Amino acid sequence: MDLTFTPAEEEFRSELRSWLSAHIPQEWTRPGFWESLDDDESFRLRRDWERDKADAGFAGIQWPIEYGGRGGTPGMKAIYDEETVRAHAPRTVNPLGLAFLAPTVMAIGTEAQKKEIIGPLLRNEVIWCQGFSEPGAGSDLAALSTKGIRDGDDFVVNGQKVWTTNAVHGDKIFTMVRTEAGSAKHRGISMLLIDMDQPGVTARPLRQMSGASEFGEVFFDDARVPAVDCLGEIGDGWRTAMLLLSFERGASGISQYTEFRRQYDEIVAVARTLGRDTDPVIRNELARVLTELECLRLHSMHVLTQVEQGRDLGFEASMTKLQWSETFQDLWEVYDQILGADATLDTLPDGTDLRPLHAQAMWSRSVTIWGGSSQVQRTITAERVLGLPR
Amino acid sequence: MYFALTDTQREFDRAVRDYLAQRFDLAAVREVVESADESGGSEGSGDSDGAAGAERSAGSGGNPASLWAAAGEQGWLAVTVPEEYDGLGLGLVEAQVIARALGAGVAPGPWRGTVLAAEAIRLAGSDTQRATWLPRLAAGEVVGAFASRGSAADGLPAVEYGATADVVVAPAEDGVPGLVLITGASATPVGSYDGTTRLAGLTGGSAEVLPGATVEVARELADRATVLVAADLVGIAREALSRTVGYDREREQFGVPVGSFQAIKHALADLHVGVTMAEHAALYASYAVQEGLDGADLAVAVAKAKANDVALQATAAMIQYHGGIGYTWEHEAHFFYKRARRLAGQWGDLTVARERIAALTM
Repeated sequence: MDLTFTPAEEEFRSELRSWLSAHIPQEWTRPGFWESLDDDESFRLRRDWERDKADAGFAGIQWPIEYGGRGGTPGMKAIYDEETVRAHAPRTVNPLGLAFLAPTVMAIGTEAQKKEIIGPLLRNEVIWCQGFSEPGAGSDLAALSTKGIRDGDDFVVNGQKVWTTNAVHGDKIFTMVRTEAGSAKHRGISMLLIDMDQPGVTARPLRQMSGASEFGEVFFDDARVPAVDCLGEIGDGWRTAMLLLSFERGASGISQYTEFRRQYDEIVAVARTLGRDTDPVIRNELARVLTELECLRLHSMHVLTQVEQGRDLGFEASMTKLQWSETFQDLWEVYDQILGADATLDTLPDGTDLRPLHAQAMWSRSVTIWGGSSQVQRTITAERVLGLPR
Repeated sequence: MYFALTDTQREFDRAVRDYLAQRFDLAAVREVVESADESGGSEGSGDSDGAAGAERSAGSGGNPASLWAAAGEQGWLAVTVPEEYDGLGLGLVEAQVIARALGAGVAPGPWRGTVLAAEAIRLAGSDTQRATWLPRLAAGEVVGAFASRGSAADGLPAVEYGATADVVVAPAEDGVPGLVLITGASATPVGSYDGTTRLAGLTGGSAEVLPGATVEVARELADRATVLVAADLVGIAREALSRTVGYDREREQFGVPVGSFQAIKHALADLHVGVTMAEHAALYASYAVQEGLDGADLAVAVAKAKANDVALQATAAMIQYHGGIGYTWEHEAHFFYKRARRLAGQWGDLTVARERIAALTM
């Protein structure tokens, strides 16, 4: 057991910490600041800030320098995740590209793809969307019907995607397309990297229950994509997708812990304001959730250890997704319990603005659906980890 | 960052588990559970056929002699005793490894009490007390116990292996800091449906003060005891889950294995996540206490709360997902369930553990 980081990693921490404190305006850290902006304004501020961050050398911490990264260790990446959340850094504008596409390209992309995709992605010159879900294929991803028909060196793509994060701000989309006519389920699918800035692609925002429009719908109407822009082998897109999803599900527990723990403290403050902090039932409920949050922290240390040892977490990533998403949702259910009769009010009698907290409570309803619903993760865990029969 | 057992610790774990599997399996546990030694059973009566090499334990106070001898020989009792007192000089992390393995085997015997008594003497005893007791506790020549409730002055209820113990560590007086070593106490067996452990109430005997037993040391000893109980529960929970998964892979109903039904799959998947988290929590708590890390108190409460939770869930699920057979006396599920029920209440039940968490974070 050794829970410390190396001296080089700690040096990186202090370097990052001073850059963050100098480059995040005080105003941005005010509760509710980001919710007060419209989607376009929020996106623009975050995009510019992140470009500056990349210029300062704090992008792609683990990616090789030759592809525009920092060339750091998994430990540095964990420190980056922790410190950015601690400093109230704005959420990334390119989450899908950074967390899922980049590691997949590094693992199975061609040399040309690595060069073309990683650098511009890190500098946010190209914002990526993920085109997996369709109106008829959400959790049953293999039921997709978007088609790609070979035409010379290109595929011509027709179909529709939905629940696409950043649909209206996206420059490119990595998408699952059925490229073998008549193929069924997991066969004959390819992962195509499609330029969204072309006549055949239309994106439309979808308003969420929180009021924001972070995701949308994308329509392909004879959109064209060169066949060389296939990630992984043509027709082998299912395997590419599973690799990519394992990065999504294994996403950094350390940053989530840091963020959720802060939210726990905010919720405790609300309980105190309402005089509910001495209620033994509320105390019991908060302690129950805190137990799970601490387990998430320890689990992320376990995951980091595995990664540093060069082990592939594979289907174990489903456990990480279940732990963080269910705990996060649970935390906000306890928040509702604390508010009681005031559950839906915008402000408390003492003037406390509850809207930023409500936004999190609403968001918590989505996390057990996207990235593979909790039900899908449980089935994966039961069959692939525990070996129960299909 | 290295949050995991080392290779050596893993080997230690495997050695304990292998020994239990080969020399003290569930058939041997059953012999202990079914022996009515508190009413003076006959020692050495009958011979053992089912239990892989285990001897009859009747008359030994539920403390099987072969297992106890092995605990001494293999260093399970010497784990935290310093080398100068003939111990292994290892830490609470290694002790936690053994506790987890013993929980997985629902193994009887006064291992925890002996280790904790030695810890109390190591941390709070005089040089003479250390020299007198530590080498003998480490070797398994004497049995120790550590009372979780009551006081030397007012009596000690339901002490684990209180009747077998040669030396008992207990609070001197209720509500007053200070620990004492008790020898020669009178023991009255206490009935319990957890047949894997024997309990006795203790009164009288001669008490000797542990001079270094400050409030802080008593708190630390309680933390160590809590961690070892949590680890036992985690071992129980993992084993209960593994056995249930194994059974449900094979057991057919409606022409298919019951493990193919989603209702069962999802429940077992949730348990797998829960047990894994409890394993992390017990490991971390043992390390945090051993190293005196900030937040060790929170880590201990988290480990106990989570261990209680999953052990009760996993052992109840073991009964449910074995169907009717899981409810029978012949099946081993009840060993796990009953031991979990008892240990969940020791050194902080769920309410106590959660209130401590609330107090530390609110």
